[in-house]
Amino acid sequence: MVLQLKQLGALVLGLCLAFTASADITVTDSRGEQTFESVPERVVALNWSMAENLVELGVDPVGVADVPGYRRWVVQPQLPDSVVNVGKRSEPNMERIASLDPDVILLSTDQSGLADKMSRVAPVLFFDAFRKDHSNAEQAKTIFLELGRLFQREERARHQLAMLEARFIWLRGRLRDHFGEDLPAVVSVGFASPTVVRVFGTNGMPWYVLRQLGMESAMPQPASQWGQTQKEVADLNELGRDDALLYFRPTVLAGDLLEKPLWNALPVVEAGRVAPVEPAWVYGGAMSLRYLAENMTDALLTIEP
Amino acid sequence: MLARYAVGAGLVLALGVLHLQLDNNLALAAQWQLITGADPSGFEQVRFFYAALPRVILAVLVGAVLGTVGSLLQQVTRNPLVSPLTIGASSGAWLALVCASVWLPALAVDERALVAMVGAATSVGLVLVIAGRNGISGLPVILAGMATHLLMGAAASAIILLNQEAAQGVFIWGTGNLTQNDWNWVQWLWPRLLVLPLILMLAPRPLTLMRLGEAGARGRGFSYGPVLVVLLIGALWILATSITAVGIIGFLGLIAPNIARSLGARRAGDELASSALLGAVLLLATDSMAQAAGDWFGELVPSGTAAALVGAPALVIFAHRKLSHGDQTALTLPHGARRTTWLTWGLAVGVLLALILLTLTYTPEAGGFVPGLPLAWPSELIWSLRAPRLLTASAAGVGMAVAGLILQRLIRNPLASPDILGMSAGATLALVIFTLWTGTSIYQAGPGVAFLGSLVVLAVLMVIGRRSHYAPGIVILVGISLAALMEALVHFVLAQGTQSTHLILGWLSGSTYRASADRSLLLAAGVAALVLLVLVFNRWLTLISIGDPMARARGVNVARARMVLLLVVCALCALVTALMGPVAFVGLLAPHVAALLGARRVLPQLVLAAMVGMGLMTLSDWLGRTLLYPDQLPAGLMAALLGGSYFIFLLTRRRLG
Repeated sequence: MVLQLKQLGALVLGLCLAFTASADITVTDSRGEQTFESVPERVVALNWSMAENLVELGVDPVGVADVPGYRRWVVQPQLPDSVVNVGKRSEPNMERIASLDPDVILLSTDQSGLADKMSRVAPVLFFDAFRKDHSNAEQAKTIFLELGRLFQREERARHQLAMLEARFIWLRGRLRDHFGEDLPAVVSVGFASPTVVRVFGTNGMPWYVLRQLGMESAMPQPASQWGQTQKEVADLNELGRDDALLYFRPTVLAGDLLEKPLWNALPVVEAGRVAPVEPAWVYGGAMSLRYLAENMTDALLTIEP
Repeated sequence: MLARYAVGAGLVLALGVLHLQLDNNLALAAQWQLITGADPSGFEQVRFFYAALPRVILAVLVGAVLGTVGSLLQQVTRNPLVSPLTIGASSGAWLALVCASVWLPALAVDERALVAMVGAATSVGLVLVIAGRNGISGLPVILAGMATHLLMGAAASAIILLNQEAAQGVFIWGTGNLTQNDWNWVQWLWPRLLVLPLILMLAPRPLTLMRLGEAGARGRGFSYGPVLVVLLIGALWILATSITAVGIIGFLGLIAPNIARSLGARRAGDELASSALLGAVLLLATDSMAQAAGDWFGELVPSGTAAALVGAPALVIFAHRKLSHGDQTALTLPHGARRTTWLTWGLAVGVLLALILLTLTYTPEAGGFVPGLPLAWPSELIWSLRAPRLLTASAAGVGMAVAGLILQRLIRNPLASPDILGMSAGATLALVIFTLWTGTSIYQAGPGVAFLGSLVVLAVLMVIGRRSHYAPGIVILVGISLAALMEALVHFVLAQGTQSTHLILGWLSGSTYRASADRSLLLAAGVAALVLLVLVFNRWLTLISIGDPMARARGVNVARARMVLLLVVCALCALVTALMGPVAFVGLLAPHVAALLGARRVLPQLVLAAMVGMGLMTLSDWLGRTLLYPDQLPAGLMAALLGGSYFIFLLTRRRLG
């Protein structure tokens, strides 16, 4: 009897597996609906945000483009040690990708125009993540969900996105505890040289995070593909004494600007409402928003209310 | 003469004051107080004192340096085309800083001056060594400069493509940006520029003597050689320090002395001083424009980019009006074999076949059918990946080689080639402008747009060239202008600092990576048809290269034949540029190599040059694909590195005609 139950169980399990295996998985990428017969196991990501999405979903990629670059500039989440470098992001090495015998290759904005060529090697998903005419951050979430569906981890993806929202709310609470109900208007920048800053504006990931944390931009910029505008440092005088200014580390490109009279005479700096943000990748996927939000909140909390 | 100086000084002052009024709302009285030593208080005053004022002073200083050095170089070389840009100083500094920022980032920030100086000095030294003692006063120095410039630019692009994130640090510097945040660059620069007045004082006498000629000078008991060498070293020193402070600003040093001469500066000292003033005026004006444009667009516009945008057309128009009877120096590259033998052809075919076989079978991933060598017969998939690239590279090589040969024969100038004359650059610019205008990907713009671009350059060349009978010096001027404009554009794109810059840089380096079966077949068919056309009309080429009267005597309608052949060149250029990307040096070198191998008559040279071009591009593509496996470098870039090195080697062995 026990044996029979076990057999029955095995039969049910087998039927279920057979059913899931035969049901096609349909995923929508930037080119339309793409169908997969089974869950892809060997995955190659040609873009760092795609690699990040995979690791966050618990899928170990077999190949990633510019692995040393990822480990140096993106850092977290960490790639598995076993991952194979498939060349640079602009021209990934198709022969090496082919030798990895992938089930799917993930492309993003960096590889636009390569989808047709890549699909000779294996099925391709192309996500045009960074565009002027959509919200990059919202798109990142959609992409994360689509990937969740592809790997049949949709529940996990939804859960993680919910966790992200919860994280935003929690961080917003901490900021309100610190600043009170009236949160300051904030702008975040990166240094391009000792005299030039990149202002993260509409459609930039840092801009999105600030909005999720309940803050307005102190220096609104028109929307652009990558959400950044280059300005002279002196143009930061637009910021008032009640606003807050965040700058991303590392600041090696700024030279000794931070000690200069010009920087220190900026109204926002003079008022002491400036703070450095620990390094975070600003062109990443949905889950990188969490690191950004945490690091930016930590920085904001060092500013006096 | 005095009136000219008064007007010049007045202009500097007026432009300086005007420049200071950008971006500030302080009263003039308050500004004057700050200049005379009042402590700045409040951001507006701090900005005026620490950003606006040093920027204006730096613009005057650097402008004066560029003008003076340009004038000195042009007088010493007696060559109106020599300038800091054309002797390779800026590209040397650029390459050195790119290297430093990738491998020694701390050094690139803290010791930028030293790094840039070493780079500039090395590349100028290289150019001078290549040009040699006799070449310095003629065309060889410009050619050596141009070749070095292209070579170093290609090397820098290769390093940037391989280290996209790490090279960010020098991109803003590369655009030539005068924005200041303190007095430190002014303070750093001015003591080093004390050499400038010294040059202005000491240079006129030896320069005047030099105009008398060597014999005349010796007759007066004065050998100007050593003095000039010391002066040149001084000039390079102030030039390198200026480049270090503000970055790459082209054209000023080239244009200022030419304007000075056209305004009537005849004597040596007069030209130097006028050029200094003009340099200051031009840089102030350019920088004001850049800053105003930046305010208008709400985004940084670097002065170097503005200088190139204004300077390139200005130079061409100016050359057209003033330089008509310029440099007539001819240049012949080394002679090789007298004629081709069966051995030559056998070897050429053998090497080409071996290269093709190697390209198709070399597989770093797997040990193959030859023990110890990573060769394997390509599977269907690998074949479909490699074949279009091979076809594209080969067709591009053939196309450029044939285009170069036609130009060299038609213009009767051994340096004529689509890249040196700027036709490739014209096609590239047209494609880039089209892309920016329509917001589409550069890969979607077709050969039609590129054809239009190279046609415009051709028209400009015809207008300028006709008056000077296609004198080498003047004809390559367009190429130099466009090359510098392209470079400024590349720097501008890089300085945007977004994640898509490497896509554009990759395309500008001429890559076969994206070649599809359709596009490569289209390219091959187009090139084949055009080459066939040239083969049919090879008699025209033979006759025209002997001389127009001879051709006319044999019943050729010279004007029409010339036009047809030039249109073929444009079409070849446009096809290659649109379907693969810009390819440098192949068009220049392949016909010469063919001649070196003994192919002197048109028909054999045409065939052999095509084979050499094909071989060079195939080799470049293979090297780019396998040298740094799994990373890759574009074939056009490898061809520039290989071809540039070989061209420099040829120049060092040349015989002056």
